[in-house]
Amino acid sequence: MERKIPLPMLVLAILGFCYLLFPILVVVLAGLTTGEFLTFPPKGLSLRWVISFLNSEKYLSAFFFSFKLALMTMVVSTILGTAAALFLARSRFIGRAALRAFFLSPVVLPGVVVGFALYAFFITSGLGISRTIWGLWIGHILYSTPYVIGTVGASLATFDVSLEEAARSLGASPMRAFRKITFPNIAQGIQAGSIFAFIVSFGQFEVSLFLSAPNSEPLPIAMYNSLRYKFEPDAAAAGIFAITLVIASVLLTNRLVNIRRLLERQDG
Amino acid sequence: MAYVEFSTISKHFGNSVAVADLDLQIEQGEFFSLLGPSGCGKSTTLRMLAGFVKPTTGTIHVNGRDVTALPPEARDIGIVFQNYAIFPHMTVFDNIAFGLVERKLPRAEIKQKVDAALAEVGMTGFEDRYERELSGGQKQRVALARVLVIEPEILLLDEPLSALDKKMREEMKFWIKNIQRSVGITTIYVTHDQSEALTMSDRIAVMDQGRVLQIGTPVEIYEQPASRFIAEFIGESNLLNGTVKEVDGAVSSIRIGTATVTGRLTQNSSVSKDQDVALLVRPEMIRLHALDADEQPKLTGTVAETIYQGSVVRYRIQIADQDLMVEVANRPDLPRLDMAEEVAVFWDADSGVVMA
Repeated sequence: MERKIPLPMLVLAILGFCYLLFPILVVVLAGLTTGEFLTFPPKGLSLRWVISFLNSEKYLSAFFFSFKLALMTMVVSTILGTAAALFLARSRFIGRAALRAFFLSPVVLPGVVVGFALYAFFITSGLGISRTIWGLWIGHILYSTPYVIGTVGASLATFDVSLEEAARSLGASPMRAFRKITFPNIAQGIQAGSIFAFIVSFGQFEVSLFLSAPNSEPLPIAMYNSLRYKFEPDAAAAGIFAITLVIASVLLTNRLVNIRRLLERQDG
Repeated sequence: MAYVEFSTISKHFGNSVAVADLDLQIEQGEFFSLLGPSGCGKSTTLRMLAGFVKPTTGTIHVNGRDVTALPPEARDIGIVFQNYAIFPHMTVFDNIAFGLVERKLPRAEIKQKVDAALAEVGMTGFEDRYERELSGGQKQRVALARVLVIEPEILLLDEPLSALDKKMREEMKFWIKNIQRSVGITTIYVTHDQSEALTMSDRIAVMDQGRVLQIGTPVEIYEQPASRFIAEFIGESNLLNGTVKEVDGAVSSIRIGTATVTGRLTQNSSVSKDQDVALLVRPEMIRLHALDADEQPKLTGTVAETIYQGSVVRYRIQIADQDLMVEVANRPDLPRLDMAEEVAVFWDADSGVVMA
């Protein structure tokens, strides 16, 4: 059956898409310019600045630093976020809503505030982790975990607790019941949360601005620092790689999830 | 000591009392039902026995063992949930094998036991299906097989028929009862449906507001209800208001309007002269016939409504200012009555129960 979308809605939807996609288009085209400066529309198209990015020690190390940091953040955020979501979903106590709000607050608070607060804390507490990858890691975990809590919480909301009770009654310990019953049924939420955590960490700017060390900068900070002094298109080329990585990771997860569903269906 | 024994069990959730001072003894091999309206504490009672809810006070013994503090996995109790709780990411085979895998049985033995369980519930050939490929009745069978295969000491059934359509429900009632009888397993069945409880149970505990009101066989619960609440909750009932005219042992005469009828008292109840009481008479216990001119029946009434239901005909009879529902089998030897007809109303002395 053909679905009919009213014309005004269709126009609005297309406008919305353009609004969302235009900045990406600007970055991609600006990165492919042949000119000396970052301009839009670009002056001719070439891979000049892409090659420049690939040969740039500064950008490549920033790219891989961001990648490593995002992976490290993803691992910890996924574990902490899943545990927090389970706790929030399973326990009944006064102040549960307040605790949830507290866990989610890093997303709501201005990033500058969170970044500055952490910086001030690291400095004054004498932990020796200000302007190190460890301090930066903690900041990113703080920022990414709420996304995992959100997606895992959503999948727990539709998870029937009696499945776990049935497993317990059949002889499974709490850990076994979680591993064999609960985990497989909320795995998609965890997977989505971890990819969110990765993307959020990879693109994080405000917290990184306060916490990153000059010689090991994440990609957004490297781009920002570079653009402050010279308006060169290799920053846009770096943007192309960042966008590609994010899109690839989303597509990859989508693919993994769908393949699994497909397999299950064929088994039956 | 009984096979399953609840001793002064209570459960409080904050300020609300879900179960209060419950004492229950259930014998080995018995089919025991907890019957009551929603919120009466029957599910909480079952969940305390399964180990999902910790009682506030009291102890629970199963087969002589104090299980009150044991986690569910250490109790050896099988439970079938209202929604069956079939693991959606596992095949039927893996669902049924779950408890055996947890008990670390050898593969060959698991295969053999699962096959036997599938055969017992009539689901052979379904081992590779997933939950979403099963009908409600099939899920029910899988859930039961998954529990029976571990040979638990007790089987708990939490409203297992409420998710099925009416026809399937009737079928599964007898099927569950037959399986229970052939396995001989002690079974505790939670339901709000009185017909399920009456059909399947050896004994029933009627619960309301966290308390057990009466424990008895289906016949006792239906024919000698301990209170008006039970009388009205179990089956259909007429409660005629009257006053006690005379008490003679377990039988008393009740004045209803200008007529006097007899009723019997239930165990442990007593009434005194001139007390206001209700007389319980079940609709199917009442006989009617058209009034003869020379007859002097104790009770007469007029037909206010007739409802034809196929196998039975129901009449609403007006007696003075009270209504009486009467159910008559649709048989050729029983006369049909017309609207506004004067009728004589009879029941056996045993069929009227006096409720204080």
